[in-house]
Amino acid sequence: MVEVSKELEDLDREILGFVRRGVDQEDPELFNRLALKAFSLQYAQIPLYRRYCDRRGISPDRISSWEKILPLSTDVFKAADLTLVPQNTVRTFQTSGTSGGREQGRVRYDQAGLRLMDETIYSAASAYFFPDGIKALVLVLAPPPDKAPHMVMAYGMSKLMEYFGLPGSRFLAGPEGLQINTLIAELRRAESEGISVAILGGSFGFVNFFAYCLERGVRFELPPGSRCLDAGGFKGKSREITCGEFLSQMKEVLGIPEERRVNLLGMTELASQFYDTGLRNNWLGRGTGPREQARDRSAKANPPWTRTMVVHPETSEPLPHGEIGLLRHFDLANRGHICAIQTDDLGRMVPGGFEILGRAAGGKARGCSLSIDEITRITERA
Amino acid sequence: MEEIHADAYYLPPGFEDRLLRIKKEELNRGEIKLTLHIPEVTRATVEALADYLKKRRERYLEMLPLQQIIHVLDEASRRWLDRDYHFRRMALKTITAVTGFSSEMVAASIDAEMESSLADDMWKAFQIEIGNPWYLDGFQFNEKLGGYTRAFGPELVVSFLSENIPALPHLLFMRAALVKAACLGKVAAGEPTFAPLYLKTIQEIDPEMAECMSVLYWTGGDKAVEDAAFNQADAVIVFGGVETCKSLVERIPRRIRVLLHGHKMGIGVIGREAMARQDIEGLAMAVAYDHAMFDQKACLAPHVYYVEEGGEVSPREFAGILARAMARLESSMPRGEITASEASAINQLRAKHEFRELNGDDALLYSSEYGTAWTVMYERDPGIFKPSPLNRLARIFEVEDIFQVLSVIKPLGPFLQNVAVAAGDSREKEFMERLGALGVTRITSPGRMPLPTMMWHHDGISPLASLLRWCDVEKEPLCNTQ
Repeated sequence: MVEVSKELEDLDREILGFVRRGVDQEDPELFNRLALKAFSLQYAQIPLYRRYCDRRGISPDRISSWEKILPLSTDVFKAADLTLVPQNTVRTFQTSGTSGGREQGRVRYDQAGLRLMDETIYSAASAYFFPDGIKALVLVLAPPPDKAPHMVMAYGMSKLMEYFGLPGSRFLAGPEGLQINTLIAELRRAESEGISVAILGGSFGFVNFFAYCLERGVRFELPPGSRCLDAGGFKGKSREITCGEFLSQMKEVLGIPEERRVNLLGMTELASQFYDTGLRNNWLGRGTGPREQARDRSAKANPPWTRTMVVHPETSEPLPHGEIGLLRHFDLANRGHICAIQTDDLGRMVPGGFEILGRAAGGKARGCSLSIDEITRITERA
Repeated sequence: MEEIHADAYYLPPGFEDRLLRIKKEELNRGEIKLTLHIPEVTRATVEALADYLKKRRERYLEMLPLQQIIHVLDEASRRWLDRDYHFRRMALKTITAVTGFSSEMVAASIDAEMESSLADDMWKAFQIEIGNPWYLDGFQFNEKLGGYTRAFGPELVVSFLSENIPALPHLLFMRAALVKAACLGKVAAGEPTFAPLYLKTIQEIDPEMAECMSVLYWTGGDKAVEDAAFNQADAVIVFGGVETCKSLVERIPRRIRVLLHGHKMGIGVIGREAMARQDIEGLAMAVAYDHAMFDQKACLAPHVYYVEEGGEVSPREFAGILARAMARLESSMPRGEITASEASAINQLRAKHEFRELNGDDALLYSSEYGTAWTVMYERDPGIFKPSPLNRLARIFEVEDIFQVLSVIKPLGPFLQNVAVAAGDSREKEFMERLGALGVTRITSPGRMPLPTMMWHHDGISPLASLLRWCDVEKEPLCNTQ
């Protein structure tokens, strides 16, 4: 461990305070000030990032707004270590793509950085997933962190369990996949004892579980207050389903109405997470018409310590509100690596936040040459 | 804003087309508003049309002397090479609007395709594939047989045309006509406008021949329509992706000949002796051209150029010279518009590579000042194959010895179509032998990767001979031959 500067300690304290104020305390000036401060530290202490910025004539003394902070493309984490205090690393998360030859991105956290992440998890989930302030039996369709130490989703869900879980909450996936019989037994118990359940997992864990239940006629009527949190989406998997199908299967199998499903966008490269706003708005009695509900379902909210903008895929210039482009996120809780992250997610700004429309990387170059994906499959088979 | 209309189909003029309903789809790109006329094809349309094409072939094309067929096809190519030809001018607009290719790129594509589709090429292709072209016109004395031999083409070829390689679909109609077969082409959604215009050219030159040809569009995988087409066909030619080929092949009846041209890839290899300073600008221009043509979307295009160390110019330095050549080509033949995912893939890769460079790895990045127009990425050979996201992104891998490339590309053998080789010394022959053994089907020089001739055994097969059925006469000389 090395001593961290007073400057960094101060910044941490300020960001932590900002996050603790919750999601309703917008403060654009504070955000901008902290973003520039974090940039200035990262610029000074991460030599690779500084050289990258210098090549483009961007430095802390030349910019006065967070929008000008130079973002890092997500793939860069596969090639370079961009950690503010690498000597103090206590936890490393890796991007997915665990198969053979594919490179994985790595993001490292020091203790204080991890503390910030924990606080964002608590703050955002309190607002968007448990706005009613209850605790629930948390069942996670993912492996526990000790079995998947580099998987940021497992870590985040363990924190949700810690903060919001009733005794008996547990992880229900292991090396052999989903422990379906245990899951069914837990759900039956909750059903009969009237305990609210919060089921957490990757979107496709749910899809597979629903398919299993539908095939065998397994049905639950989970107590009111039960809810689902699914991370990711439905694209690019063997079993493609639409959002509408997902909601109706959730209702049919679990007895959970659509307004109590929350979708989460989490990324290894980001400490904070983005939730959709349907459950919260429903709880607050805001916008309960069908149109607003549909909008809430697709809109991901930016907590005040984050920002999202949409940029042109070709020029990387910001696009006008509502136009489709690539999502770029700013996250103060990323102070331990780089705050500005350029994703390859396609999306657009919508009322109440932003909307994600799929991964740009999923598409293939047109034409008759083999695509990167096809070639990767061929070479990995060999 | 210029408004133009284009057909995504071609029906022979004599065909009663009441069976076909046409819907319109509009698209805008740049200054062009294009209205595509798209047929709504049913099983009945395909059955009636296939039947019609076969009848017209029997009345005309089947009996037409090869010389006359080649004359018509040659004339069609010549018209398309004329810059003022009205259908060419139209195609420049429609293909540009549909695909996003620059019009300079489309013009270069048409020139490249048509220049390799002249009479001389057709004769030579026949000579290479079957020796004597006249087998198509009647029994020919065959000395080795001690008798007579004749070749018959299929009645009807159904062709699934490629998308996004402008002006390539004509090749399928040419090949069908050369073996005196009627041809029904299914255009791809990616570029449905060129093939109908090409058939209008045939109609201008020889309306009877055009009666044996047609273009339709339907959504790939429409089983009722495709099964109807297969039921009528004697041969099917498919250009398409791995999935398309697989799903079609499973449904094509066994009796039908199938020629598959699945998606493939290419690479380039330059040896140290070819890295002479004197010729380096020309070599860089050639390599840049290989990447720029068809915006690197063709299966012939290189994913990686391997450059050997130890020459007069180092691979590192060559990357910089190549970058300047890429920039020059961008101004004379700009890259087209690409999709968000294509642009994002380039930007992500560039960023990753730049960080390796900043990190002190042996890596260099050169890129167009704005946008993603061109990219050159140099690195030492990573020992595994790293494909390019295409759209003019050149990867230069420095190798100690060109023979090291062979083990890296071995797993890709069956998909490796095209390799540019400039070893510069006596190792070249052995190197080419090894490439051929791996599965490569075409070897050429840098700068000629996108320009195969009609004489090439396309993807390792004889594209004309594979369509033929032979009949031999093993008996005494015929009494009434001249």
